[in-house]
Amino acid sequence: MSWHVSEEDLRAYARGELEAPVLWSADAHLTSCARCRGALAEVSDPVVLDAGWDRLDAELDAPRTGLLERLLVRIGVAGHTARLLAATPVLRRSWLGAVVAVLLLSVGAGHAVRGGEFPTLFLALAPLLPLAGVALSYGPALDPTYEMTVVAPMHGFRLLMIRTVAVLGVVLGLNGLATLALPAYGLRGLAWLLPALALTATGLALTPRLGPVLAPSLVGGAWVGLLLTADVLRTGADVPLAPFTVAGQGVAAVVAALAAGLLFLLRDRFDLFQGRAV
Amino acid sequence: MTPTVSASGLSLRYGGTRALDDVSLRLTPGVTGLLGPNGAGKTTLLRVLATALPADRGAFTVLGHDPGTARGRQEVRRRLGYLPQTPGFHPDFTAFEFVDYVAILKEMTDRGVRHREVRRVLDEVGLADVRGKRIRKLSGGMRQRVALGAALVGEPGFLVLDEPTVGLDPEQRMRFRELIAGAGEGRTVLLSTHQTEDVAMLCHRVIVMAAGRVRFEGTPAELTARAAGRVWSSTERDPGAKAGWRTGTGTFRNVGAPPPGAELLEPTLEDGYLLTLDDAGAEVAA
Repeated sequence: MSWHVSEEDLRAYARGELEAPVLWSADAHLTSCARCRGALAEVSDPVVLDAGWDRLDAELDAPRTGLLERLLVRIGVAGHTARLLAATPVLRRSWLGAVVAVLLLSVGAGHAVRGGEFPTLFLALAPLLPLAGVALSYGPALDPTYEMTVVAPMHGFRLLMIRTVAVLGVVLGLNGLATLALPAYGLRGLAWLLPALALTATGLALTPRLGPVLAPSLVGGAWVGLLLTADVLRTGADVPLAPFTVAGQGVAAVVAALAAGLLFLLRDRFDLFQGRAV
Repeated sequence: MTPTVSASGLSLRYGGTRALDDVSLRLTPGVTGLLGPNGAGKTTLLRVLATALPADRGAFTVLGHDPGTARGRQEVRRRLGYLPQTPGFHPDFTAFEFVDYVAILKEMTDRGVRHREVRRVLDEVGLADVRGKRIRKLSGGMRQRVALGAALVGEPGFLVLDEPTVGLDPEQRMRFRELIAGAGEGRTVLLSTHQTEDVAMLCHRVIVMAAGRVRFEGTPAELTARAAGRVWSSTERDPGAKAGWRTGTGTFRNVGAPPPGAELLEPTLEDGYLLTLDDAGAEVAA
């Protein structure tokens, strides 16, 4: 090997002041030249050099982030928050695929069955998706690291809210896209939004008392029961189901606000284990 | 020695089960073993001490902090390492990513500091070479070591280990014992186990639980001494023995109240444990 990095360049390299393209040449050369690495060690402050190797090692060890994490970081989410979200089970492709399939089905039904002024099947299913998504994002039965998570210093409610906001953002976004695919219904196609918020907030607010599986199951069941009852009580096929009327939307908004308030009052209960004690 | 963990009168009912019944204990630095049969309340006690479950009655402190308040609970959690009985993993994470995830939950938000800590604990549990491997591709013993590494993040002063050697082969168990012994230097470790060998090899103190109550608290030698004069050899199984089994030499080893003139044997920790459980059973029945 006839060419070696000059002492002046090595000193600049050690100080982190060597600039490209000489820096690139020095990088490439140092990986294959023991003599220059020795010379670099002689001209460098050993503490700074060790710190540099440590930094390099740490970078090489650092996990290669997945698609979701990279996307979150790119839109401004802090790296550590993105890692927490990457561990959220429902933000994985399989679950999101199921959500998209349900939405495609209900949107397809909205196009095929124009029996009224509302896309009833879509409006009935869309609120259940965020409820299910949030319910599946934590709890001893669904989060494999739940037991370690609950005794960590990070408050359980904070982690729950981080995951809830992320899941709601994704699922409500998909619901919104599905609504755009039903332009003939106009704003009536958005009548799922307030019930979705009401169901999700109620499911969470009941979780400390009923548990993370029973609470959302009961809320989802109650929603289905409400729709079936409203269907029986309505006076004609063209009349919207009660939850999708103006009055129904108002009730949904009130329920969402009350449930959110209750959830906030019960926030410390999410900091303790919710499962069988024995 | 001043106790680092001190509990008094801890009680917890779950449905119709009295999971903890007036449990009091004091832990000091070093490894304390927690022995007991299934359903004795060991896991419940560990969850209470790890601040996952609140007790119905009683109080305890960990390293001077009272977890009865929200602030105290958080202070305890900052000093706690917890390895649950069946640690779960996100299957797609590598060993590094998983420990990194736990480090974030432990409030390490600075990436550089956190990654140095992750590397340190993975080195400590001997997994430096596989830190980039997906957890689903690691053996059971390695997964347990990943979970132990996660528990060691932040150098906790109180380490709670719930049956960490279950399901490990003898070589992995020995390796894990080395790690626990190392972890017990300078910190308080509470080790729940079914293996009396774990206690004999690792622990300076031992607690025996049955039916939610503490039945013994002392040194392993004191537990062994409970069986002094209550273990004997015979050519046939002695019907008066609490337990008896044929040994490799063809003679029977009996535990209980020996008949007059019986050939007494040197007791083991397991003999002391069995007799303590038997005494507890008699007391419960009474």
